Amino acid sequence: MELSLSGNAIKTFARCITCLARVGNELAIQASPSQLAFHTLNSSRSAYQSIIFKPDFFDVYTVSGNQVQCSVLLKAICSLLRTPIASIDNLSVKLPYPDASKVQWALECYSGMRKTYWITCNVEPDIQHLSLDRTKFPSNFVVRPRDLNRLLVNFQSSLQEITIIATEQTSLPSDAANEIGGKAVELRSYIDPTKENDSSLHTQLWIDPTEEFLQYTHTGDPVDVTFGVKELKAFLSFCESCEVDIQLYFEKAGEPILMAPKFGLDDGSSSTFDSTLVLASMLISQLREGNPSEPPQAATTTHGQDEHGASQAQHDRCIPNVSEHPSDHTRIWSDLSGSAAKSGSGSGIGTEERQVQGETNLNANQQREMQRISTMQISKAASTRENEPADPNIFHPMEKDHAEEARDGPVSQRHPSNWVDADEDDDDDGDEDEMCVQSTPPYYEEH
Amino acid sequence: MSSEGPDLVCEVDNVQGIVDALTAVRWKRQQDAVVELSEHGVVLIVEESSCLQAKVYLQRELFIKYEYGGAQGRPRFGVSLGLLVNCLNTFSVPAGGRSSSTIEIRYPGPDMQLLLKSVDSLDACIYAEIRTRIPETISWDYNFEPAGTTPLSFTVKSAALKEAIDDLEWPGSSVQIILQPDPPSVTFKGEGHGDLQIDFMYYVNTDLLIAFSCDRQVSYRYKYKFLQATTSNIPSSVIRDNRGSKLTIGRGGMLKVQHLVSVARPSIPHPHVDSAGYQQPSRIAYIEFFVKPEEDESTIND
Repeated sequence: MELSLSGNAIKTFARCITCLARVGNELAIQASPSQLAFHTLNSSRSAYQSIIFKPDFFDVYTVSGNQVQCSVLLKAICSLLRTPIASIDNLSVKLPYPDASKVQWALECYSGMRKTYWITCNVEPDIQHLSLDRTKFPSNFVVRPRDLNRLLVNFQSSLQEITIIATEQTSLPSDAANEIGGKAVELRSYIDPTKENDSSLHTQLWIDPTEEFLQYTHTGDPVDVTFGVKELKAFLSFCESCEVDIQLYFEKAGEPILMAPKFGLDDGSSSTFDSTLVLASMLISQLREGNPSEPPQAATTTHGQDEHGASQAQHDRCIPNVSEHPSDHTRIWSDLSGSAAKSGSGSGIGTEERQVQGETNLNANQQREMQRISTMQISKAASTRENEPADPNIFHPMEKDHAEEARDGPVSQRHPSNWVDADEDDDDDGDEDEMCVQSTPPYYEEH
Repeated sequence: MSSEGPDLVCEVDNVQGIVDALTAVRWKRQQDAVVELSEHGVVLIVEESSCLQAKVYLQRELFIKYEYGGAQGRPRFGVSLGLLVNCLNTFSVPAGGRSSSTIEIRYPGPDMQLLLKSVDSLDACIYAEIRTRIPETISWDYNFEPAGTTPLSFTVKSAALKEAIDDLEWPGSSVQIILQPDPPSVTFKGEGHGDLQIDFMYYVNTDLLIAFSCDRQVSYRYKYKFLQATTSNIPSSVIRDNRGSKLTIGRGGMLKVQHLVSVARPSIPHPHVDSAGYQQPSRIAYIEFFVKPEEDESTIND
């Protein structure tokens, strides 16, 4: 096998290697006359990335026979790419014969230096191949890398896993009263309860897919997927530097998710390279209570084609006590409210003290609207409340609020208890002994 | 003990340049240097395990004042290189915001110390004393001799040399340097868990190999860590100026690496710089490294 590339292709190639190196350790190279494939699998077998290059990507591309394959350490290729990319005139790769023990990588620099690396092939390559049909995923969205970066900035930078909760976008026209309903997607930090300590930052971010995403497709019941942030960020920088959008395909918790660059090519031509990142998602859904239908499995290996990726099922999270609810929608709200509960509410939701920061993209007007809706719900339950002061505390207690959610109507899909009151700092000092966040007083007069 | 004046009183107006020159030979945190004074200038020598030696030549023309009073022989003393460089660094911060930093260096002090003092500042004075030692071992004179009638040498851009040697870290342990007359080329080769070969071709781009002299193929091996010491601390000013560094292979395969470090400060008038600002060679400090080859490669070189 022999190939050679120059110019911008070297930059793209280097970005591909950088991304692959952030996912796995070994690079499997499979060269056939129609394409060159690079893949890697991470050590916990929860992330798999493949990059396919078409022969057009290269200046020279020749493969003898049907298929040639070998495997090298990604660290070695990263060492050779330490040469500043801008100083490389030409990069060539040669595997002299199919079972050669070393792959030759040669860099010709503009300065006149020629660097030739012989990288030893791994003796027992662990070459896995995984292919998933993108059309089989029921849901997906397309986002600009910089927009997704901007959303991720709200999360602790050391966050390991993230949950995306996708709900069906409301078909009602988007106006002030329905602003909340428009926030169909939630990003939520996932912190392993066994590893949690007091200093973790928990973040929940509700976004309107029409504002943040270029495209969003999800119908039916809400689903959630929890997966690794490290690989997401690697793929994000890869797409950002290649100046392409990211398309993320998903199905539901436990099923793998797939990410791919979305090339905006209108003329029907295809790009000379493509990439796929498959990440396993946690078996346990953040939306459902109770135990999963089967006990958590150890990570399974992936072999052959058309198999779903391995599950990252090491977490058997202790599900907090939540009372039973009649509908799935209600269940979401209750679980969300469960996670937002302050420990002082005494409703028995979990034992952890969590600080929730809900990011709202609402302006003050919209927030007042939201308050109005939530207070309408509260007022019904006012009679059953404990000895509360005149301004009802909408976050307290939880069980009583659940009764209202069961009714239909354009109510918020988010439990009001999830909203952090933006004006909470203005509250009277007398309210400080309450563990929960107060709503803004003036608006209760309207009822 | 002579009751006359000190062996040396000199003044330097660009301390940063001296610091750069001395930093170039720091490959370890703790190094003992031997300093030799003479009427020609100051030489500082560092050495490691009889395989690597470096010399910094600071000729008298580098100094704005150089009064050598040493009568017999050449005074020699030992001093910690790190200590000397750190000390000089404190002087290179301009006192009172003035752009120049002139210091006076005097040896010996009353207790054989090295004395340093800032001399141009009106509002503050920095004064330092550094303890010296009697050097225990005579510096091993590496006795570099030419390999034959035709010198085996090449001059390569300093930045390129450093880049090549940095890249050779990956294969590690030892590096083979091969000179070939036809076509004229220099090759650095490292072998380990992977192999790397870096070729400098003479004709491809004459900017890279500035000079080349070789009449027969030669090849010698050197330990990577010693070769790396020759470029690891090249001052950034040398990389920026990107002049040439000269490598010469002497008899027995001894490798000599030479760098030039500018100690000039063009804005300040200096007795040795002519009116056009052209830098006389004397405003340059010479750095020389000597690297002993690994075991005899007699089978390669007939």
